[in-house]
Amino acid sequence: MFALDELAVTFGKFLTQMQDEALLIKQLQAKEERALSLLYDKYSGALYSVIIKMTRDEALSQDLLQETFITIWDKSHQYNPEKGRFYTWTYRIAKNKVLNYLRKNDILIQTDDLSVYKNKEEPETINRNFLELNGAITKLDAHHQKAIELVYFKGLTHREAHAQMDVPLGTFKSYIQQALKQLRKTYAKIVVFLLLMIDVM
Amino acid sequence: MMTKKELLENGLLEQYVLGELDTKQNEAIEKLLKSDAELKAKLEGIESSFEKLAIENAINPPDFIKPGLLSKIEKADTLISPKENNNSRTWLGIAASFAAFFLLGSIWLYSELNTVKEDLRIVGDQNEALQKDLDGITKNYDEASKWYAALSNPNAEQYVLKGNLLAPEAKIVSFVNHENKSVIINAQNLPNLDAEHDYQMWADVDGEMINMGVIPKNTKLMAMTYIDDAESLNITIEPFGGNDHPTVERLISNVYLN
Repeated sequence: MFALDELAVTFGKFLTQMQDEALLIKQLQAKEERALSLLYDKYSGALYSVIIKMTRDEALSQDLLQETFITIWDKSHQYNPEKGRFYTWTYRIAKNKVLNYLRKNDILIQTDDLSVYKNKEEPETINRNFLELNGAITKLDAHHQKAIELVYFKGLTHREAHAQMDVPLGTFKSYIQQALKQLRKTYAKIVVFLLLMIDVM
Repeated sequence: MMTKKELLENGLLEQYVLGELDTKQNEAIEKLLKSDAELKAKLEGIESSFEKLAIENAINPPDFIKPGLLSKIEKADTLISPKENNNSRTWLGIAASFAAFFLLGSIWLYSELNTVKEDLRIVGDQNEALQKDLDGITKNYDEASKWYAALSNPNAEQYVLKGNLLAPEAKIVSFVNHENKSVIINAQNLPNLDAEHDYQMWADVDGEMINMGVIPKNTKLMAMTYIDDAESLNITIEPFGGNDHPTVERLISNVYLN
């Protein structure tokens, strides 16, 4: 009974959060600063982590994070929940900001090994902890972990990443799919809730 | 035209989430998503895994970024604010008008409600009074029917007791029914007595006077006790509440039965 109660409470919290988020997004689209502030609190850490792992430059990452949120504010009307989750939308904005910046400033060039960085040495300003990965991804097989890291945290495309790992594109795709499957198992609770949510909707 | 099978086999959903696809591919996927719940659920799964992954690896940005961001968007907003302010003031005015309208409407409805409640209470009172009247009338009617049935019975013999010198104006009509052994009298024309006296009725059986009961005051029709083998009916004036034996000196009327 206790487990069921706990599950119900967790599910209730989850539903509330989903509703809260939907409401926050509506308020954001109505240009309410409070909503931007709350969504910043919720997602800035995740986005900052992605940006910093792509640029390896703290000062630059701070500027790009702010620009990302300004774009989120200005273009909030373009977000459509039917096309995916809000975080996914913000992730794409952040990633594009970084890639555009790197391209414009000629930092992003294809080197021999297809790494995206011209400067292969670690900049001394970066805290190495910022580049380390945490949580469920560290439990994955090494090649799965690498595949996810390349496409998600380093901003490489599948095509760039499979070349870097020196495996066929098809193999690389299955690495990504298997890695996600493993992650999903770890996060199973959430997926169950999502399926329930879809049923509810 | 992209099919669901192609989409899944080529791992395009993952690339869609990662933002690697071009506009055309994005649109094709979004079209498929609209009509396919299974695909939508798969997408949700991928998105939520990536999202959880990102949250687990979050790095808090320095505190100064947020105030900087908020002041930047505020500045951008103030540039277009005058027009918006006017606009919002107009809307506020309209909203206030509606609020006032609804408030007045509510007050009016509330007073109407009270009036209707008062009316309902009055109608309720009237209804109660009418019900009381109806109960009285019904009771009277039942009684009258009963009396009528008794008096119109073919077995009822009518005897008139006329007053003697003691009460010359007295006149009592009695209906004796030997079949169902009842005596009913009409005492309408009995003179009023003081509070200390009552009329009492007696039956004469073999020279003995047997009590038939005290005649109640202010009652027109009443049933008296039927006595077997009565030869005559007699009425005397007795002390209040009746007597065990008749006061013969105060006999006011009598009649012999056939």
